[in-house]
Amino acid sequence: MTIGIEHILAVSGLLFVIGFFGVLLRRNTLVVFMSLELMLNAAMLALVGFSFFNATMEGNVFVLFIIAVAAAEVAVGLAIIVALFRRRHTVQLEELVSLKG
Amino acid sequence: MNYLELISHVLPEIAVLVTALVLIGMGCAGGSRGGGKAVLAVTAAGLGLALAAVVFGPESGRLLEGMIVVDALTRLFKAVLLALTLGTALFLFPGGEAGGNEGRGAENSALLLLALLGLLVVVGTENLLLLFVGLELASLALYLMVVFAAPAGRPAEAALRYFFFGSVAAAFLLFGFSFIYGATGSIDLRVIAKVLAAHPVEPILPLGVGLALVGFGFKVAAVPFHLWAPDVYQSAPAPAAGFIASASKVAGFFIVAKVLVLGFGVVEGSADWGAFAMGWAPLVAVLAALSMVVGNLAALAQQSVRRLLAYSGIGHSGFILTALVAANAEAVRAVLFYSVIYGVASLAAFGVAGCVLRARGADRLEDFAGLGRTAPAAAGVLALALLSLAGLPPLVGFFGKFQLFAAALSGGTPGTVPGLLWLVALALLMSAVSLYYYLRVLKQVFFAPAPADAAPTRDTSAGTAVCLVCGSVLVLLGLFPSLVLQPLQRALVQLF
Repeated sequence: MTIGIEHILAVSGLLFVIGFFGVLLRRNTLVVFMSLELMLNAAMLALVGFSFFNATMEGNVFVLFIIAVAAAEVAVGLAIIVALFRRRHTVQLEELVSLKG
Repeated sequence: MNYLELISHVLPEIAVLVTALVLIGMGCAGGSRGGGKAVLAVTAAGLGLALAAVVFGPESGRLLEGMIVVDALTRLFKAVLLALTLGTALFLFPGGEAGGNEGRGAENSALLLLALLGLLVVVGTENLLLLFVGLELASLALYLMVVFAAPAGRPAEAALRYFFFGSVAAAFLLFGFSFIYGATGSIDLRVIAKVLAAHPVEPILPLGVGLALVGFGFKVAAVPFHLWAPDVYQSAPAPAAGFIASASKVAGFFIVAKVLVLGFGVVEGSADWGAFAMGWAPLVAVLAALSMVVGNLAALAQQSVRRLLAYSGIGHSGFILTALVAANAEAVRAVLFYSVIYGVASLAAFGVAGCVLRARGADRLEDFAGLGRTAPAAAGVLALALLSLAGLPPLVGFFGKFQLFAAALSGGTPGTVPGLLWLVALALLMSAVSLYYYLRVLKQVFFAPAPADAAPTRDTSAGTAVCLVCGSVLVLLGLFPSLVLQPLQRALVQLF
């Protein structure tokens, strides 16, 4: 069997959905954080796949930038989480953030 | 293209970046303690240089396949963003000192400038990669501004919520971009538009545009992606909230309009009553309707003025998106014009709210009682800002809203009932609702007696200056809207 763009898209879509539901449903801030990274990875996988099958380089370049942006995002996010943990001594989401709009 | 040409086209961005780095250095050297004036001077000088670079820089150019675009429109909006940021920077320093920032004025200013840098990149590009990088730079700096140097308590939680919502939105945006790239083979908006015009639409493209709309909806705080806004506006330090409500939102609407109209004008579809056609217009119309209804009705119930401003901002996103649905030149002009005056009015409103907050320690409606007597300048500016947001003539808000709704009705065949009449009717109704809650604030300001024991709210020099400038802009543009409309019109002629 040859791997086509639809296989890559299926995996990438699955990753994105898993990540999204992780963000929605998990209660530990750090796990939510990891789910976020999963969503970014899904986008990266799709970009690499399209780049390969479109035979253009833009997708690959895009991915390199996303890796850097994701690293910066982790730094900022962890800084906020640590700032909260110092004050509240918990990383459980429902104890940190009231969910009313 | 050579490096000299490249540098000359990004000179404003370079000036802002260098200033931010200098400020970080000053912060590390401890220069911010007692040196608030120096920090303010460096910030203002950097912004002034960047403004000069925009005004006297190259008039047009398109480098690196649309990664860096300079034309009349981007120059106008870069100038607007720089001016709004200068206003925010002055708010950071009440009375010219780093008083409200616990000696961290330098770092705060540096974050502000980094956020501005991101927005400048976003405005000055037609490339999805740079668009994403710029948006992320602005967002990351804004998350930190919300939590940074703020008094203990809610800001860190609001920042965490902002961060999670923002990151999910960024992931949606990215996933959407990857599908757009897959369907068209390019990340350059103009090439995408050409491909879409020449070839039949790939089935994954609608998915990509829809996912990207989720990301943009977050950026402009449209319902149902608005849940972060009330908390952030209420808990963040007032200057940070003012920046998010003004500069960040102006850039957000600029880029939404540019991406949708420039890149995806072909797949607009139609949201006309009885003639729905698949495309992005129906989606934007739904966002607009939801934002108007939820934002304006929820604002009625708020006790905190900053929270009220947040919901009113959500409602205004709805008004602006209403015109965007029409997607012709007139509509884009109205959208851009209104986003600018909305930015000016909210900067002034948040500035006054910040003054009250410093003096009284809270921003409930009761805390604004008697402001008209203790701080007449601030109260007057607040009245101008809120009445302009409500859309009362002769303030510019009336003219802006009129343009928005006229543009929304202008589409369609002449002689028949305009297809977007349903949306505009809803917008007019919600506009009337909004007048009620703005007047509720003003009633407290001018007619309620000040509590005897409350500390009087005094006008601070720098903040008042900004407020007064914003207020006079609102009046002046209301009387002479062509001051901004004509340059905007000329700039848009080049685009279409």
